[in-house]
Amino acid sequence: MSEKETLQPAASSVAHVREARERIPYLVAFAILIVLTLVEIGVARSGGIPHRAAVVALITIAIAKAALIALFYMHLRYETRILKLTVLGPLVAPAVYALLLMLDAARRHAP
Amino acid sequence: MSNAVASEHGHPTVAWPPDAQYGMATPGKIGMWIFLISDAFSFGGLLIAEGILYAGRHPWRQPGEPELGIFFTAVLTFVLVSTSLTNVLGWAAAAAGRRKQAALLLGLTAFGGVAFLVGQFQEWFGIRGHGLLREGLVFGQSPRASTFYVITGYHGLHVLIGVAYILAILVGYLRHRVTERQIELLGLYWCFVDFVWVFIFSFVYLLPSLSGA
Repeated sequence: MSEKETLQPAASSVAHVREARERIPYLVAFAILIVLTLVEIGVARSGGIPHRAAVVALITIAIAKAALIALFYMHLRYETRILKLTVLGPLVAPAVYALLLMLDAARRHAP
Repeated sequence: MSNAVASEHGHPTVAWPPDAQYGMATPGKIGMWIFLISDAFSFGGLLIAEGILYAGRHPWRQPGEPELGIFFTAVLTFVLVSTSLTNVLGWAAAAAGRRKQAALLLGLTAFGGVAFLVGQFQEWFGIRGHGLLREGLVFGQSPRASTFYVITGYHGLHVLIGVAYILAILVGYLRHRVTERQIELLGLYWCFVDFVWVFIFSFVYLLPSLSGA
Protein backbone atom coordinates (compact mmCIF):
# COMPACT_ATOMS: atom_id res chain seq x y z
CA MET A 1 0.00 0.00 0.00
CA SER A 2 1.46 3.36 -1.02
CA GLU A 3 1.87 6.25 1.43
CA LYS A 4 -0.82 8.18 -0.47
CA GLU A 5 -3.33 5.35 -0.13
CA THR A 6 -2.55 5.06 3.58
CA LEU A 7 -3.00 8.76 4.20
CA GLN A 8 -6.15 9.29 2.12
CA PRO A 9 -8.71 7.83 4.56
CA ALA A 10 -7.12 9.67 7.45
CA ALA A 11 -7.19 12.95 5.53
CA SER A 12 -10.83 12.31 4.62
CA SER A 13 -11.62 11.64 8.26
CA VAL A 14 -9.88 14.87 9.30
CA ALA A 15 -11.91 16.78 6.71
CA HIS A 16 -15.14 15.26 8.07
CA VAL A 17 -14.19 16.19 11.64
CA ARG A 18 -13.35 19.76 10.53
CA GLU A 19 -16.66 20.05 8.65
CA ALA A 20 -18.55 18.73 11.67
CA ARG A 21 -16.77 21.23 13.92
CA GLU A 22 -17.62 24.07 11.53
CA ARG A 23 -21.29 23.20 11.91
CA ILE A 24 -21.21 23.48 15.72
CA PRO A 25 -21.54 27.30 15.90
CA TYR A 26 -24.63 27.14 13.65
CA LEU A 27 -26.25 24.46 15.81
CA VAL A 28 -25.39 26.27 19.05
CA ALA A 29 -26.80 29.54 17.63
CA PHE A 30 -30.00 27.66 16.67
CA ALA A 31 -30.37 26.22 20.18
CA ILE A 32 -29.85 29.65 21.76
CA LEU A 33 -32.39 31.22 19.37
CA ILE A 34 -35.01 28.64 20.34
CA VAL A 35 -34.33 29.06 24.07
CA LEU A 36 -34.51 32.87 23.76
CA THR A 37 -37.82 32.59 21.89
CA LEU A 38 -39.22 30.45 24.70
CA VAL A 39 -37.96 32.99 27.26
CA GLU A 40 -39.67 35.77 25.25
CA ILE A 41 -42.98 33.94 25.39
CA GLY A 42 -42.50 33.31 29.11
CA VAL A 43 -41.84 37.01 29.73
CA ALA A 44 -44.84 38.09 27.63
CA ARG A 45 -47.22 35.57 29.20
CA SER A 46 -46.07 35.33 32.82
CA GLY A 47 -47.89 38.46 34.00
CA GLY A 48 -45.79 38.63 37.16
CA ILE A 49 -43.02 40.79 35.70
CA PRO A 50 -43.29 44.59 36.04
CA HIS A 51 -44.31 46.17 32.72
CA ARG A 52 -41.14 48.23 32.19
CA ALA A 53 -38.88 45.29 33.06
CA ALA A 54 -40.78 43.09 30.62
CA VAL A 55 -40.45 45.72 27.84
CA VAL A 56 -36.70 46.06 28.44
CA ALA A 57 -36.30 42.25 28.56
CA LEU A 58 -38.22 41.70 25.30
CA ILE A 59 -36.28 44.40 23.42
CA THR A 60 -32.95 43.10 24.76
CA ILE A 61 -33.78 39.52 23.78
CA ALA A 62 -34.90 40.64 20.29
CA ILE A 63 -31.59 42.49 19.77
CA ALA A 64 -29.64 39.45 21.04
CA LYS A 65 -31.52 37.12 18.67
CA ALA A 66 -31.01 39.45 15.70
CA ALA A 67 -27.30 39.75 16.54
CA LEU A 68 -26.96 35.95 16.60
CA ILE A 69 -28.57 35.66 13.18
CA ALA A 70 -26.43 38.45 11.69
CA LEU A 71 -23.16 37.27 13.23
CA PHE A 72 -23.47 33.53 12.62
CA TYR A 73 -26.05 32.81 9.92
CA MET A 74 -25.21 35.91 7.86
CA HIS A 75 -21.48 35.40 8.53
CA LEU A 76 -20.93 38.97 9.70
CA ARG A 77 -18.70 37.59 12.46
CA TYR A 78 -16.20 36.44 9.84
CA GLU A 79 -16.16 39.69 7.80
CA THR A 80 -13.69 42.57 8.08
CA ARG A 81 -14.19 45.37 10.57
CA ILE A 82 -15.01 47.84 7.77
CA LEU A 83 -17.79 45.61 6.40
CA LYS A 84 -19.18 45.15 9.91
CA LEU A 85 -19.24 48.94 10.37
CA THR A 86 -20.76 49.42 6.90
CA VAL A 87 -23.65 47.17 7.91
CA LEU A 88 -24.11 47.97 11.59
CA GLY A 89 -23.42 51.73 11.45
CA PRO A 90 -26.54 52.73 9.51
CA LEU A 91 -28.72 50.36 11.57
CA VAL A 92 -27.85 52.25 14.76
CA ALA A 93 -29.63 55.41 13.53
CA PRO A 94 -33.21 54.01 13.39
CA ALA A 95 -32.58 52.11 16.62
CA VAL A 96 -31.61 55.35 18.43
CA TYR A 97 -34.61 57.12 16.87
CA ALA A 98 -36.93 54.33 18.04
CA LEU A 99 -35.42 54.42 21.53
CA LEU A 100 -35.96 58.20 21.80
CA LEU A 101 -39.57 57.80 20.68
CA MET A 102 -40.16 55.06 23.25
CA LEU A 103 -38.64 57.18 26.04
CA ASP A 104 -40.80 60.12 24.96
CA ALA A 105 -43.93 57.95 24.93
CA ALA A 106 -43.07 56.52 28.36
CA ARG A 107 -42.57 60.05 29.76
CA ARG A 108 -45.86 61.35 28.33
CA HIS A 109 -47.87 58.38 29.59
CA ALA A 110 -46.20 58.25 33.01
CA PRO A 111 -48.71 58.71 35.87
CA MET B 1 -19.07 38.43 -14.04
CA SER B 2 -19.45 34.77 -13.18
CA ASN B 3 -16.72 32.27 -13.96
CA ALA B 4 -18.91 30.61 -16.61
CA VAL B 5 -19.61 33.91 -18.37
CA ALA B 6 -15.93 34.89 -18.09
CA SER B 7 -14.92 31.63 -19.76
CA GLU B 8 -17.46 32.13 -22.55
CA HIS B 9 -15.92 35.51 -23.33
CA GLY B 10 -12.41 34.13 -23.34
CA HIS B 11 -11.33 35.72 -20.05
CA PRO B 12 -9.38 33.60 -17.59
CA THR B 13 -11.27 32.75 -14.41
CA VAL B 14 -9.71 34.41 -11.40
CA ALA B 15 -10.38 34.30 -7.68
CA TRP B 16 -11.65 37.60 -6.27
CA PRO B 17 -8.58 39.35 -4.85
CA PRO B 18 -8.66 40.21 -1.14
CA ASP B 19 -9.35 43.90 -0.58
CA ALA B 20 -7.64 45.96 2.12
CA GLN B 21 -11.01 47.07 3.58
CA TYR B 22 -13.49 44.40 2.56
CA GLY B 23 -11.27 41.29 2.59
CA MET B 24 -12.70 38.46 0.47
CA ALA B 25 -16.18 40.00 0.23
CA THR B 26 -17.15 40.13 -3.45
CA PRO B 27 -18.95 43.11 -5.03
CA GLY B 28 -22.03 40.87 -5.10
CA LYS B 29 -21.89 40.36 -1.36
CA ILE B 30 -21.30 44.06 -0.63
CA GLY B 31 -24.17 44.91 -2.98
CA MET B 32 -26.46 42.44 -1.22
CA TRP B 33 -25.55 43.94 2.16
CA ILE B 34 -26.30 47.46 0.90
CA PHE B 35 -29.68 46.26 -0.42
CA LEU B 36 -30.43 44.59 2.91
CA ILE B 37 -29.55 47.75 4.85
CA SER B 38 -31.95 49.78 2.69
CA ASP B 39 -34.60 47.10 3.14
CA ALA B 40 -34.02 47.20 6.89
CA PHE B 41 -34.84 50.91 6.78
CA SER B 42 -38.21 50.06 5.18
CA PHE B 43 -39.02 47.66 8.00
CA GLY B 44 -37.59 50.09 10.57
CA GLY B 45 -39.87 52.82 9.23
CA LEU B 46 -42.92 50.57 9.46
CA LEU B 47 -42.11 49.43 13.00
CA ILE B 48 -41.44 53.02 14.14
CA ALA B 49 -44.76 54.09 12.57
CA GLU B 50 -46.47 51.32 14.52
CA GLY B 51 -44.72 52.48 17.70
CA ILE B 52 -45.87 56.08 17.21
CA LEU B 53 -49.48 54.96 16.58
CA TYR B 54 -49.30 52.60 19.57
CA ALA B 55 -48.06 55.36 21.87
CA GLY B 56 -50.91 57.66 20.86
CA ARG B 57 -53.79 55.18 20.93
CA HIS B 58 -55.17 53.81 24.19
CA PRO B 59 -56.51 51.19 24.23
CA TRP B 60 -54.47 49.78 21.32
CA ARG B 61 -56.82 46.82 20.88
CA GLN B 62 -60.28 48.07 19.96
CA PRO B 63 -63.45 46.39 21.30
CA GLY B 64 -64.36 43.37 19.17
CA GLU B 65 -60.85 42.87 17.84
CA PRO B 66 -59.30 39.43 18.42
CA GLU B 67 -56.14 38.73 20.36
CA LEU B 68 -53.12 37.71 18.25
CA GLY B 69 -52.16 34.04 18.50
CA ILE B 70 -48.75 34.24 20.16
CA PHE B 71 -48.25 30.49 20.52
CA PHE B 72 -49.16 29.86 16.89
CA THR B 73 -46.80 32.62 15.80
CA ALA B 74 -44.09 31.14 18.02
CA VAL B 75 -44.39 27.94 15.95
CA LEU B 76 -43.98 30.02 12.78
CA THR B 77 -40.92 31.62 14.39
CA PHE B 78 -39.50 28.15 15.05
CA VAL B 79 -40.10 27.22 11.40
CA LEU B 80 -38.35 30.37 10.14
CA VAL B 81 -35.36 30.00 12.48
CA SER B 82 -35.05 26.36 11.38
CA THR B 83 -34.90 27.45 7.73
CA SER B 84 -32.03 29.83 8.55
CA LEU B 85 -30.18 26.81 9.94
CA THR B 86 -30.95 24.56 6.96
CA ASN B 87 -29.95 27.40 4.63
CA VAL B 88 -26.56 27.99 6.23
CA LEU B 89 -25.90 24.24 6.47
CA GLY B 90 -26.83 24.00 2.77
CA TRP B 91 -24.24 26.65 1.96
CA ALA B 92 -21.63 24.82 4.08
CA ALA B 93 -22.42 21.57 2.26
CA ALA B 94 -22.11 23.32 -1.12
CA ALA B 95 -18.78 24.87 -0.06
CA ALA B 96 -17.55 21.39 0.91
CA GLY B 97 -18.69 19.95 -2.43
CA ARG B 98 -21.48 17.77 -0.97
CA ARG B 99 -23.91 18.60 -3.73
CA LYS B 100 -26.75 16.21 -2.86
CA GLN B 101 -26.81 17.33 0.76
CA ALA B 102 -26.67 20.99 -0.28
CA ALA B 103 -29.59 20.53 -2.68
CA LEU B 104 -31.61 18.67 -0.04
CA LEU B 105 -31.01 21.40 2.56
CA LEU B 106 -31.93 24.16 0.10
CA GLY B 107 -35.09 22.23 -0.73
CA LEU B 108 -35.90 21.95 2.97
CA THR B 109 -35.37 25.70 3.34
CA ALA B 110 -37.84 26.40 0.54
CA PHE B 111 -40.31 23.95 2.10
CA GLY B 112 -39.99 25.76 5.44
CA GLY B 113 -40.64 29.06 3.70
CA VAL B 114 -43.80 27.67 2.12
CA ALA B 115 -44.87 26.28 5.52
CA PHE B 116 -44.42 29.75 7.02
CA LEU B 117 -46.56 31.29 4.27
CA VAL B 118 -49.28 28.68 4.77
CA GLY B 119 -49.18 29.49 8.49
CA GLN B 120 -49.54 33.18 7.78
CA PHE B 121 -52.45 32.48 5.43
CA GLN B 122 -54.06 30.44 8.22
CA GLU B 123 -53.53 33.31 10.65
CA TRP B 124 -55.07 35.91 8.32
CA PHE B 125 -57.85 34.01 6.56
CA GLY B 126 -58.23 30.72 8.42
CA ILE B 127 -57.82 27.42 6.56
CA ARG B 128 -59.11 25.64 9.66
CA GLY B 129 -61.38 27.77 11.80
CA HIS B 130 -61.69 31.54 11.55
CA GLY B 131 -58.78 33.74 10.57
CA LEU B 132 -58.09 37.14 12.15
CA LEU B 133 -59.96 38.88 9.33
CA ARG B 134 -63.27 37.09 10.05
CA GLU B 135 -62.70 37.44 13.78
CA GLY B 136 -62.81 41.23 13.45
CA LEU B 137 -59.27 42.43 12.77
CA VAL B 138 -60.14 44.31 9.59
CA PHE B 139 -57.63 46.37 7.62
CA GLY B 140 -58.39 50.08 7.80
CA GLN B 141 -60.65 49.87 10.83
CA SER B 142 -57.99 50.58 13.44
CA PRO B 143 -54.28 51.49 13.56
CA ARG B 144 -53.64 48.09 15.18
CA ALA B 145 -55.26 46.22 12.29
CA SER B 146 -53.67 48.34 9.56
CA THR B 147 -50.15 48.18 10.95
CA PHE B 148 -50.52 44.45 11.59
CA TYR B 149 -51.49 43.64 8.01
CA VAL B 150 -49.01 46.06 6.41
CA ILE B 151 -46.02 44.85 8.47
CA THR B 152 -46.74 41.11 8.39
CA GLY B 153 -47.84 41.37 4.74
CA TYR B 154 -44.63 43.17 3.75
CA HIS B 155 -42.64 40.48 5.55
CA GLY B 156 -44.72 37.73 3.94
CA LEU B 157 -43.93 39.23 0.54
CA HIS B 158 -40.24 38.95 1.40
CA VAL B 159 -40.73 35.28 2.33
CA LEU B 160 -42.57 34.65 -0.95
CA ILE B 161 -39.77 36.29 -2.96
CA GLY B 162 -37.26 34.35 -0.87
CA VAL B 163 -38.91 31.02 -1.71
CA ALA B 164 -38.81 31.89 -5.43
CA TYR B 165 -35.16 32.94 -5.03
CA ILE B 166 -34.27 29.65 -3.29
CA LEU B 167 -36.01 27.59 -5.97
CA ALA B 168 -34.24 29.52 -8.76
CA ILE B 169 -30.86 29.00 -7.08
CA LEU B 170 -31.66 25.34 -6.42
CA VAL B 171 -32.51 24.70 -10.07
CA GLY B 172 -29.33 26.52 -11.13
CA TYR B 173 -27.29 24.52 -8.63
CA LEU B 174 -28.68 21.22 -9.89
CA ARG B 175 -27.73 22.31 -13.44
CA HIS B 176 -24.21 23.25 -12.27
CA ARG B 177 -24.79 26.91 -13.10
CA VAL B 178 -24.66 28.21 -9.54
CA THR B 179 -21.69 28.30 -7.17
CA GLU B 180 -21.56 28.32 -3.38
CA ARG B 181 -20.92 32.09 -3.54
CA GLN B 182 -24.36 32.63 -5.06
CA ILE B 183 -25.81 30.32 -2.40
CA GLU B 184 -24.15 32.49 0.24
CA LEU B 185 -25.79 35.61 -1.25
CA LEU B 186 -29.13 33.81 -1.16
CA GLY B 187 -28.39 32.95 2.49
CA LEU B 188 -27.83 36.62 3.30
CA TYR B 189 -31.27 37.49 1.92
CA TRP B 190 -33.03 34.54 3.53
CA CYS B 191 -31.50 35.05 6.97
CA PHE B 192 -32.37 38.74 6.72
CA VAL B 193 -36.01 37.67 6.44
CA ASP B 194 -35.51 35.81 9.73
CA PHE B 195 -33.58 38.78 11.21
CA VAL B 196 -36.52 41.10 10.52
CA TRP B 197 -39.06 38.59 11.82
CA VAL B 198 -37.34 38.65 15.22
CA PHE B 199 -38.31 42.32 15.59
CA ILE B 200 -41.79 41.84 14.11
CA PHE B 201 -42.48 39.02 16.59
CA SER B 202 -41.41 41.27 19.47
CA PHE B 203 -42.92 44.59 18.39
CA VAL B 204 -46.15 43.43 16.72
CA TYR B 205 -47.02 40.36 18.81
CA LEU B 206 -45.25 40.29 22.18
CA LEU B 207 -44.86 43.92 23.34
CA PRO B 208 -48.50 44.97 22.73
CA SER B 209 -49.64 41.76 24.48
CA LEU B 210 -48.08 43.06 27.73
CA SER B 211 -50.92 45.57 27.97
CA GLY B 212 -53.55 43.06 26.91
CA ALA B 213 -53.61 43.89 23.17
